[in-house]
Amino acid sequence: MHRSLFNILSGRNTRQGLWGLPLLVALLISLWLTVETTQFATAENLFNLVAQAMPLIIAAIGQLVVVLIGGLDLSVGSVISFTTAVLALDQPAIVLIPAVFVLAALIGLINGLAITRFNVHPIIATLSTQYIVLGITRILRPVSGGTVPEIVIAAVSGSFLGIPYPVFWGIMVILAAWKLLYGSRYGLHLFAIGGGIASGAESAARNFGVSDRRNIILAYVICSCFAAVAGVFLAGRIVSGDPNVGLLFELDTVTAVALGGTQLSGGIGSLHGTVIGALVMALLANGMNLANVSPFVQTAIKGGILLAVVGLQSRKKMGL
Amino acid sequence: MAAVLANPIARRLLRIPPSYFVFLVLLATLWIARPNMLNLNIMGIFVRQIVPLGILVLGQLVAMRVKSIDLSGGGIILLINYFISSGTFPGASMPFFVVLALATGLVIGLFNGFMIGSRRVSAVIVTLAVSIILVGLVQFLSSGNPPGDVPKLFNDLYNTKFLSVPTPVLFWVLLTALVWLLLSRTVFGRYVASVGENAEAAHFSGVPVQRTVILAHTLAGLIAAIAALVQTGSIAVGSVRVGLDLPILAVAATILGGVVFGRGDGGVWGPFFGALCFALLFVVMTVLGIDEPGKLIAQGVIILGAAIFYGVRVRNP
Repeated sequence: MHRSLFNILSGRNTRQGLWGLPLLVALLISLWLTVETTQFATAENLFNLVAQAMPLIIAAIGQLVVVLIGGLDLSVGSVISFTTAVLALDQPAIVLIPAVFVLAALIGLINGLAITRFNVHPIIATLSTQYIVLGITRILRPVSGGTVPEIVIAAVSGSFLGIPYPVFWGIMVILAAWKLLYGSRYGLHLFAIGGGIASGAESAARNFGVSDRRNIILAYVICSCFAAVAGVFLAGRIVSGDPNVGLLFELDTVTAVALGGTQLSGGIGSLHGTVIGALVMALLANGMNLANVSPFVQTAIKGGILLAVVGLQSRKKMGL
Repeated sequence: MAAVLANPIARRLLRIPPSYFVFLVLLATLWIARPNMLNLNIMGIFVRQIVPLGILVLGQLVAMRVKSIDLSGGGIILLINYFISSGTFPGASMPFFVVLALATGLVIGLFNGFMIGSRRVSAVIVTLAVSIILVGLVQFLSSGNPPGDVPKLFNDLYNTKFLSVPTPVLFWVLLTALVWLLLSRTVFGRYVASVGENAEAAHFSGVPVQRTVILAHTLAGLIAAIAALVQTGSIAVGSVRVGLDLPILAVAATILGGVVFGRGDGGVWGPFFGALCFALLFVVMTVLGIDEPGKLIAQGVIILGAAIFYGVRVRNP
């Protein structure tokens, strides 16, 4: 019993990664905020917090899928901005909402094809699409403005039984991701491919009959689509299109994923860890806002957290 | 496609860094669109603008030769610009600033190198995080407003000419030659090449892989500090935005120049022309009336295109 508890907390001998520790951190921050401030432990603030954290949670789940196969998607932030810009194009919702997902899937497809077919390093491929998509977004909407369809705003601003809609949407997205990662053949293949890549045997999964190329392409498509969901969410909250809303989001998602105990080298990680990681980020942002920390310092602190959590992971490969 | 790639002439052509072709294409475009712009004076001004990028490329190239990457240049440039322009060191002389800048670059580069070489953290994450921390810090210290002025001597030096060639350009060429000597004529250069080619094989042949990676990143930090000094001289004022897009341009120029993560086909002069390509690209885009979003797209397409160019070749050796 003692041993297994230790294993869970340290993330040793497990495919889930170290997720007990971030949970502890999240609880500690909540406790501290409850004691220090009167505004924190109100139902209103907590629901608000969850609603604020939702885009990050959703985008981080997408990032998790890519990280599990040992990749990294740096185009997440641009896809989010792009989604809000497309949604604010002043067209009927019935056209815009499917269009957003088709376009996001296309971006993911370009990433996946460049990586698998043309042998481009994931970081370089997604870095280029980050710039290309950002450029297109700035052409569509140089400064923030426009209005997103009414239905998108309604979907994120209402509440049911006192619980805001975003909470329900979030639960649905998490359940879908749970089914994808733990209840489908695809999820198993993801862990198989990532485990092989992490231990330096890139053809390991292929040798067991798992098509790595197709699954890797699909992982990037899924990541972009999750980013688009996060973008729709944000668009509903800010009511307009904004070319800068997704700025640095890719790093926030990587931080959340790494904070949740997922190894960036691939194969080890968990959905609940990622959700906890994203919640820790949201709690920190909430706490720093309540403590009046300058937004510039908040950015620097986020960078420091990223450096610390990734620095604590050990891996074999050096360099990129 | 495989048959075309197997052709010996095609393979020979694929070994030439794309930057030379792109440079010629851009030069031809400019010659057709605005023949009168192709004179030494105007070109000198355009090339002079690109010198900070060109210097940063040298550091990027050393990092990329050891299969790493350095994206912290933006933060280093911003921090050094802040040091010089904020008046934190009243009455300080130019040598003091130069030493301070070099020391800053050295320390940050050493930190990057330690994290990447010793702790084995992903280089992208480390250097991006360092950059974010530095940018956040500088913006906090200057509360989002541009700091003060830069000592006049910086800009005066930047504006000098030697035999009608701007001094910064000469300085860039000199520095490039130095890095070329370092990589092709010294033991360290050999180490860098072997670590990039195959780190494991290098380790078993007695090459100090870890030390080479740390040194490469320290050098990249130092070179970024030099780029920061030139950049500060060029804008002559403090700024909280200067140089933030330079690291990514440096990656693009380096890949365009034929140096891709461990492979050093372009040597030092390939990336040199890669940086020159960006000088011409900005001129061509301004001439054709393409603004900032178009430039972002062009950067992305160039990085992806050059990377695919190499990926295809590696796949069909």
